[in-house]
Amino acid sequence: MVVKIIQIILSPILALVVGVFFLGLARKIMARIHWRYGPPLIQPVIDMIRLFYQKSVSHGSMFDLGLILSLAGSIVVVLFLPLGGIAPLSGSGGLLVILYIMLLAPLGMALSGGQGANPNISIGISRKLILGLGYEVPLLLVLLAVMTRYKTISIIEVVNAQQSTGWLLFSFPLFLSGLSYFLILPAILGLRPFDMSSAPQEISSGPMVEYGGKYLALATIEHAFVLFISIALFVNLFLGGADNPAIFFVKMLVVFVLGLCINAVFPRFRIEQAVKYLWKWPTLLAFLGLIIALAIRS
Amino acid sequence: MNKSLKEKLEATFKDIRTASSEDSRMAVSAESDNVLALLRFLKDAGFNHLSLLSAVDWIEDDCFELCFILTSYMQNDDEVTGRQRLHIILKTRIPREKPQFKTVIGIFPNAEPYEREIHELFGIKFEGHPRLIPLLLEREYEIPPFRKDFDTRKYVQEAFEKIPFVDDKDK
Amino acid sequence: MDRNQITKWLKAPAKMANKYSLHAIYFCTGCGIIEVPPVITSRWDAERFGIIPVATPRQANLFLITGYVSVKTLRAIIRTYEQMLEPKYAIGFGSCPINGGMYWDSYNTIKHLDKYIPIDGWIAGCMPRPEAIFIAVTHLWTLIDKEMANGYIRYRENYKSYRRNQEMALGKLEWPPLFPVSDESQGNEQ
Repeated sequence: MVVKIIQIILSPILALVVGVFFLGLARKIMARIHWRYGPPLIQPVIDMIRLFYQKSVSHGSMFDLGLILSLAGSIVVVLFLPLGGIAPLSGSGGLLVILYIMLLAPLGMALSGGQGANPNISIGISRKLILGLGYEVPLLLVLLAVMTRYKTISIIEVVNAQQSTGWLLFSFPLFLSGLSYFLILPAILGLRPFDMSSAPQEISSGPMVEYGGKYLALATIEHAFVLFISIALFVNLFLGGADNPAIFFVKMLVVFVLGLCINAVFPRFRIEQAVKYLWKWPTLLAFLGLIIALAIRS
Repeated sequence: MNKSLKEKLEATFKDIRTASSEDSRMAVSAESDNVLALLRFLKDAGFNHLSLLSAVDWIEDDCFELCFILTSYMQNDDEVTGRQRLHIILKTRIPREKPQFKTVIGIFPNAEPYEREIHELFGIKFEGHPRLIPLLLEREYEIPPFRKDFDTRKYVQEAFEKIPFVDDKDK
Repeated sequence: MDRNQITKWLKAPAKMANKYSLHAIYFCTGCGIIEVPPVITSRWDAERFGIIPVATPRQANLFLITGYVSVKTLRAIIRTYEQMLEPKYAIGFGSCPINGGMYWDSYNTIKHLDKYIPIDGWIAGCMPRPEAIFIAVTHLWTLIDKEMANGYIRYRENYKSYRRNQEMALGKLEWPPLFPVSDESQGNEQ
């Protein structure tokens, strides 16, 4: 019981540390790909300290509460994910709960943006939600295939099953689902070519245009959590999870660096191009994986 | 180059002078009554792009001079020797006491911002222009600022230098 | 740099964080903006210093006024400067904000920008080279250390004079005063 409480407190902190480290690593690796040096690895921490010391402007109570809702949703999802050996709440609900609570992040931002009186916010939020619609379809098919194959909704059982059968990414038939999830991973993370929802040049940073001071710091933290959750889900389901957090972290690092390499090279899609892409090949692959998983089961 | 064009112009209109310095440029000076007809004639002859409409202040001669620069891009007519990008500068003088002119929007609709700019900077009024409001400037000036009798140094001293620096003493 | 010195961080974290995370708002004033893209991209990398351009004044704390300021631009500059959150720093870039520069006798440009918004530092040149921008940023760090980069405090304290100067230059201002100007008018604390 005490161990569980310690794990409940520890796992969001671990997710925050890893997420913020990933943010700093993203800027450093992008800089090195551009043939320049970059900021130091702790630059997001410096930014956040500065932001907490800055005055901020609020547009009303829903402005604050929407952001807190979005942050709270992301923290709760972390509790349901096993990170290496630490898995406080993963016995109850598993994949279905994660699928639902993952939606709180963009919805919270939409709520808070509704009170910020700026049309750029509505454009950014509409793009974010349409992109969510785009990647939810193949994501759901992928998760359904995994759930069908192992007849379970608990991630821990999927992780344990991979100890015997090897990584799901290389097993038949779920390698199709794994490939599809890898193809939609930049859309979930908000990396290029799918970062049109917070495009600085087009819509003045989209939903974050009115965030200053502590709100921007909270939005950065929420972004770090979303980064962590999406990659952790992929590692758990398709790359075997891990017994201890260190190996788990190494696997997450590899996936993230691959996503960053794609981010460095691609320009930005338009929103209709993004949805057209997401509903074409990844959906097709995920659908095939689901059909074959159903066929094998019966 | 444009011998035939020059001959046609001098045949059709009186009181104009043409001069050409290079093969692909020609300067035409005309009276202000002829200008609209001349523009229509040149547009039908293939010079269908008004590149610029500008004004010059000849304060010694007491007049303004309006300059229309017409170009023809896709000129394959063998009358006008098939060379592309020919320029014609059409100049006309208007008196300086009551400067006004007729608008050329009927012939070249893209002259609308040029005429607005000339109106706010020189004070030349264009009759028939639908919207003769300032294009670039915000302030009101008694003498339009591009005229040669506008004293820039005096204006800067009156409008900008009089504003005091902010001192910590007058909190 | 002294970014790695833990004792300085523990003693004054606000100053150190304000120094090493200057987010500049990407406001392209005049001809000087042509010197900024080489500074923030690969050639003279400004991200090593923590400087990145952001698209909105709410997220920024550095304002580079990079060229001549015409009367219409001054309206936009004042509105942008007032939307930024404190503490904020403004740097005049080039010789046009200093004393009018090449447009010293123009009918439509502002000659001394310091009369309208508070400027913490100037960079001379027409245009300054990117190395000059970096030297200016290190000077700004020194000023922040000594607590002399207090343009925003001067703006708050002398707001009546600044507002009077702005009204003399621009005529009627469409936005209400940022701080309370006199006893009877209600200031709109943004």
